[in-house]
Amino acid sequence: MLEGFILGLSNGVTCVAYCAPVLIPYLLGEGKRISQNSALTVQFLLGRLSGYLLFAVFAWGINHSILQWMSKPDLLIGGAYVIFSVLLIFYGFFKTTTSCAASRINGLRHKWVAIMPFSLPIIAGFVTGLSFCPPFLLAFTGAIERTSLLKSMLFFFAFFLGTSIFFIPTPFVGIFRGFSTLKMVGKMAAGLIGVYYLYSGIVMLIGGISRI
Amino acid sequence: MNRDASAQSVPAKRGLFKTFFLCLPMMLLTFMMLTRGNIPADEDRLFALAITFFFFNVLFFLMVHTGKTDRFRSILFITLSVCFVISFISHLIEVRGSMAISGANMIEGEVPFCHIAIPMTLIPAALTKTIIFPGTIIGSFASIASMFVLWIGVSLSLGRGLCSWFCFFGGLEDGFSRIFRKPLIKNINVKWTYLPYAVLLVVVLLAAVTLSPTYCHWLCPFKTVTEFVEITSVKILIQTIIFVSLFIGLVIVLPILTKRRTQCGLFCPFGAFQSFTNKTNAFEVRIDHEKCVKCMKCVQICPTFSISEESIAEGRTGISCTKCGKCVDACPKTALFYHVKGTSLVSSLDRYRLLFLYPAFLVLATMAGGYVQDVIVKTIKLIATGSII
Repeated sequence: MLEGFILGLSNGVTCVAYCAPVLIPYLLGEGKRISQNSALTVQFLLGRLSGYLLFAVFAWGINHSILQWMSKPDLLIGGAYVIFSVLLIFYGFFKTTTSCAASRINGLRHKWVAIMPFSLPIIAGFVTGLSFCPPFLLAFTGAIERTSLLKSMLFFFAFFLGTSIFFIPTPFVGIFRGFSTLKMVGKMAAGLIGVYYLYSGIVMLIGGISRI
Repeated sequence: MNRDASAQSVPAKRGLFKTFFLCLPMMLLTFMMLTRGNIPADEDRLFALAITFFFFNVLFFLMVHTGKTDRFRSILFITLSVCFVISFISHLIEVRGSMAISGANMIEGEVPFCHIAIPMTLIPAALTKTIIFPGTIIGSFASIASMFVLWIGVSLSLGRGLCSWFCFFGGLEDGFSRIFRKPLIKNINVKWTYLPYAVLLVVVLLAAVTLSPTYCHWLCPFKTVTEFVEITSVKILIQTIIFVSLFIGLVIVLPILTKRRTQCGLFCPFGAFQSFTNKTNAFEVRIDHEKCVKCMKCVQICPTFSISEESIAEGRTGISCTKCGKCVDACPKTALFYHVKGTSLVSSLDRYRLLFLYPAFLVLATMAGGYVQDVIVKTIKLIATGSII
């Protein structure tokens, strides 16, 4: 759980920095009170949690279907850690353009608002939960490592908690000035955490190879 | 910036008598700090005290007389770091017989506390009332309480000036950055100046969650010249390779090639943390638009990447300014100057510089005093006996 929480914490700044400019128009309409904004943020976070938990179930399924058949699961998980952490390092230090997964629903916005006005924050949250960014992929790999469904879900729940801490101030929109600085610092922090996971992946790979 | 006819800039030089008069308070203060109320009876120590006192006060005299700050600050700052390293290592060898920290040393809390660990200790201390560092709270050499008290005092008086007037590591890269006359690498992407804040975020979070000083374990380059964990496992070997590589890259090679303090400006999490104290500190470095001819010399030479075209447009250095005075010395039009917040921007500018120099130089002299004297005594011992221990 601790690992999931750390991964979430280190990437939460980036999630907020990238997603808040897209989400704020949906979530925090002008003139709304803090209490209303807070309710919308909670809906958004619940949607996000449901996306994560769905993937926790999927990760558990992979563990029970593919990993159980493998004699050296360390090699697969270690390899996944190495690949995704390298992606995270690239994303943190070298990739210049990244967009929020929720922006994919921009085109559907008006239709959704017309049909189900209250569902929009939840859907936006759910879509961000399905974002295949390197931090998410690392969290997914971590969840696959867990042998029980409960542990897998707890891992993603901890990841969710870590990222969600940074969404707490969203009802107070005024603090979100200087996004470019926040984005840069957040991305680099994610890249540094990638280095930590790269080390974990290499250690796992060495462990797997030494047991062959 | 409005300017009237009587506006004064920083004078190039002062008269000798006036300089001597202005230096008298510093002589008294440095004498107090170096002796701590006791004139040593031992001849070697007395000689070391006299040399140190003379050396420090000559430097301060030249600062006041010539109007140049960094030129003389850097001499003492580099001396501080070199003497610190020599004194610290020889002390460790005397006490422990090695630079390596054993498991027993850590359990007994014998690891000297360093100011760079401060940001990592704050959240765990607030949440769990635990100091996540294997040092002692009070009493011993570099105890945690004494370092916190020093940090608070210096932060209040100098802000991030601490990094150029107090930090016993900064002088190493400052020294290496002055080896070549011109930089071999000139263009550094400005995005890397955000890296210290990212390192700060990660090490503080990891320290809070794991309740261990993560930066000290994995990243601190200065362990190479102070103390390090005894290599007893592959993990510690990897940690050692990482921090030695960071030392060679960030403290030696890049400063030589870029003529900047790359560890301080592009990596140090404590420096990033300390930058925020500049917001509450009274002293700052300002830029006069009317005098500035946009030659960009200050942008090119700032050791910590704290001046940009944007900051020139704003009339002040960036939040990461360490108040070293290099830009102030180098500006051909004296457009950069030390300033006290809330006071006039057009008159008494040299008084502001002096107001800054007294506390800043005293901090530097106090930090350096013990180490410089110790190294002089050890050098005498080396000449007389063939050993410094």
